[in-house]
Amino acid sequence: MGTKKVSPIFYIIVIIMAICFFIFHTIPFMQGIFYSFTNWKGYGSWDFVGLNNYLQLFKDPDILGAYSFTFIFAIITTILVNVLSLVIACALNAKIHFNGFLKAVYFLPYMLGNLMIGFIFNYIFANIVPQIGKNLGIEALSVNILGTENAMWGIIFVTVWASCAFNTLIYTAGLKSISSDIYEAAAIDGAIGIKRFSNITFPLLATSFTINVVLSVKGFLMVYDQIMAMTNGGPGMETTSIAVLIYKRGFTGGQFAYQSANAVILFVIVATISILQLRFLEKREAKYND
Amino acid sequence: MNKKWLLSGILVLSVGLLAGCSESSSGNELELFSTKPENVAILETIANEFNALNPEYTINVVAPADAATVLKTRMAKNDMPDILAMGGDSYFTEVQSADMLIDLSNEPYISNLHVSYLYMVYNRNANKEVVVYGVPYATNASGVIYNRDIFARAGIEIPTTWDEFVSVIEILDAQDINPFIFTYKDGWTILPPWNSMAPVIQPNNFMNDRLADKTTFLGTHEEVLEKMITLMDFAQEDFMGMSYDDGNKAFATGAGAMMINGNWAINQIMAANPDINLGMFPFPTSNIASENKLTSGVDVLLAVTDGDDEIENVAKKFIEFAVSNEIATKYIEEQFAFSAVKGVEQTNPIVSDISDDVIKGNVENFPDHYYPNGLDLAAVLSGFAMNYVSGMDDDSNISATLSDLDAKYDAINVK
Amino acid sequence: MISEKKNWPITILLIICMIIFILIPLYMVVIIAIKDPSDMIHVLSFPKELRLQNFVDAWVKTDYPVKFINTAIITIITLIFTLPLNSFTAYAIVRSQDKSKFFKFIYYYFLSAMFIPFSVIMLPLVIQASNFNLDNIWGISFLYIIFGLPMNCFLYSGAIKNLPLSLEEAAMIDGASILKTFWSIVFPLLKPMSATVAILSFMWTWNDFTMPLVLLTEESQQTLQLAQYVFKSQFSVDYNLAFASYTMVLLPILIVYIFAQKYIIASVSAGSVKG
Repeated sequence: MGTKKVSPIFYIIVIIMAICFFIFHTIPFMQGIFYSFTNWKGYGSWDFVGLNNYLQLFKDPDILGAYSFTFIFAIITTILVNVLSLVIACALNAKIHFNGFLKAVYFLPYMLGNLMIGFIFNYIFANIVPQIGKNLGIEALSVNILGTENAMWGIIFVTVWASCAFNTLIYTAGLKSISSDIYEAAAIDGAIGIKRFSNITFPLLATSFTINVVLSVKGFLMVYDQIMAMTNGGPGMETTSIAVLIYKRGFTGGQFAYQSANAVILFVIVATISILQLRFLEKREAKYND
Repeated sequence: MNKKWLLSGILVLSVGLLAGCSESSSGNELELFSTKPENVAILETIANEFNALNPEYTINVVAPADAATVLKTRMAKNDMPDILAMGGDSYFTEVQSADMLIDLSNEPYISNLHVSYLYMVYNRNANKEVVVYGVPYATNASGVIYNRDIFARAGIEIPTTWDEFVSVIEILDAQDINPFIFTYKDGWTILPPWNSMAPVIQPNNFMNDRLADKTTFLGTHEEVLEKMITLMDFAQEDFMGMSYDDGNKAFATGAGAMMINGNWAINQIMAANPDINLGMFPFPTSNIASENKLTSGVDVLLAVTDGDDEIENVAKKFIEFAVSNEIATKYIEEQFAFSAVKGVEQTNPIVSDISDDVIKGNVENFPDHYYPNGLDLAAVLSGFAMNYVSGMDDDSNISATLSDLDAKYDAINVK
Repeated sequence: MISEKKNWPITILLIICMIIFILIPLYMVVIIAIKDPSDMIHVLSFPKELRLQNFVDAWVKTDYPVKFINTAIITIITLIFTLPLNSFTAYAIVRSQDKSKFFKFIYYYFLSAMFIPFSVIMLPLVIQASNFNLDNIWGISFLYIIFGLPMNCFLYSGAIKNLPLSLEEAAMIDGASILKTFWSIVFPLLKPMSATVAILSFMWTWNDFTMPLVLLTEESQQTLQLAQYVFKSQFSVDYNLAFASYTMVLLPILIVYIFAQKYIIASVSAGSVKG
């Protein structure tokens, strides 16, 4: 192994980057935490209010509603995205025709950006799906789903549509790395079909699975762009996620300090969940890697 | 060599940053910030005329996407535009309470403004002080927009009482004409019927009593919601899924007879069909015609932010120019709005049925302007409409909605 | 032996899903963009006559050239600096964290920042950025480089851990400096991961809405995504115009993608496996 001493150039670069990061990310974050103990509106004077904002959070029906929406949304979407991506990835990994072309098109949604995707599907849900629904005589589809109590499913559909691309790609890459020797050995042992998938393929995808699940959960807990582009949190509070609530109330509703407290809680939750996931999944990975 | 490359990279980056420091706008450019995308074009016209008369100064109109957020961030970094054109709403209260606006009480044109609208702006001052921080400029009217051709074909007159209103709706419905186009996908469009009915229906002194926790919405506002349900019974299919833009477009092509919204929608509808024959009447809440009032508030006020004296003076001059009869007339003509300037009257036939009320002052301000900032009435009402569509029992829906509104009101009122 | 026969049923299934879920929505965007508003009764039908005026109008109304250049500058600056700076930072951290607690701490410091919701830092950041005169396209590029650190360090460090030490050690023994070793040996080996990071950064900066919204308050500094907002308000009734404009935002991405598609897919795949 190399020397015990760390090169000064490592210190220089890392310290410069860390300082920049501290100034423009951590300080604003600490200010955010600081203001969550005040009644600051985003301008003007303020007073300390202690833990009032935090105590209020637990009594606020809108906050509780936003948390339950966000959790349900994140769980359903994570499961759907990962199952679908895995299916598509397995299909793409099969010996198919036009492999390169299909892969390229399936990755395309990733390139488009949530805001644009939101605008486009907003139009589709309002103008195209209801027409199709009426022609087919399906009642549930003949109205704009974004205006009903099922609006969450509209958001889920669009999020899954946009997120599958990246996850699929990571799974296909994982599948590629499984050498055919393993499958041949498995075939000799009689492991084929579902059995082969659950005993061999899936365990070997452990790393891809970890990346996908952790990033999905984290991203979906902070879901924001699509909702603002499509429902603005409505109808009622039906699709108001935590991030949407923080933005809407904190910025335009004059509750900056209060919503900062909400954001701090969101941070704690997302960080805790992600760390627990990483711990759990890495253990699982380690088990399979042995 | 590579070390140099990296370090010089960092150097270039930091130099680039310094070079990128934008010099603050030069001494004779002013920024007019509008929060309403609908009026950008006319404000630009007015600013250009002003610039032509005052060649040493240039006023630029900006109306950014999501103006409320941008204004908030600019307040936070103390980089305020020189002139603000905004609604007489809670955002104005926020700006005013941050001590960012200058006192315009002594400007010569103030005496030329309708006192009732001045008071509406005073009421938006954080401490309700009688100081002009915002000059009321254009005022709006919320009520019922209707298609005159459809009314004529159906052989119906403008209703002046609730019962007449219901029979008009039933006649239209019987003739297979959509009485209403509702656009409840955009939550704020559920507010106009509430805003028109609540001031008539709620008990006297409700606002103050509610603030003092002596009364609740529950027990006082049932009738508003009952009437909203009656209206929804006759709205077009899938009204929860129709956006404001789509609704205006559909209405412009004759898909419905009425919309419950404000004069600000008129030029949007006309843009989709310039030949449509529109009219507007006050919302007939009560069966006693004289009790029904037009809902009207300050749609645009002009304010000058605290800053350089010379710029402030130019800004004041601009407002003086804008409230002159000729320019104020131009503004309201383009916007189908009403003016806060005395003697400037809206003569467009589209709004002829309501201009009398405006002139006589038979108006009531938007009640939601008196609710505490942060109370999301639109979301509550949108939930109410959604419950209606998904078949919830009307009585439980009404009481659940009002209790919800009370709970949210209390949650905000505490702090 | 696994047979080399190609699987038609799966191919066909994939093609059907692709057409319904991906190609039709995109076809719709383009077809609406080239239609006249009066021709919208059958949305998906081919236009009666091609209308390119929508593009001209959208070009003028969004001030496309200026916004395009702004967006391109931000994206390019961010990419040029993100790749070497972030990869070297990750390299320094990985190669030193066994020797020094400081680097381990920095790693977890960056990592934990990944979970901070942007909304909590948004308003303080606006003030901070304006104190440092960063509320312009140059400043926002700088912030993208800095804010990309947590995610990119996470990605790069995974890849770096998988690199064999022997190559670097051999170079050091030959007397090469750390920077030279990094630049000539490590950085080229990180190419797949760099491609992943490049694509992630490109997508982030090109498609971001919130940060430009709050930082770039001057009209002349604004980006393409921000410019699309005019269709939500000012010119709201004209879908054809809006979709023409969306097409013009998506087009540069599509062009980049069509030409780089093979490379992008290969490298994202390679990068993610090593990560």
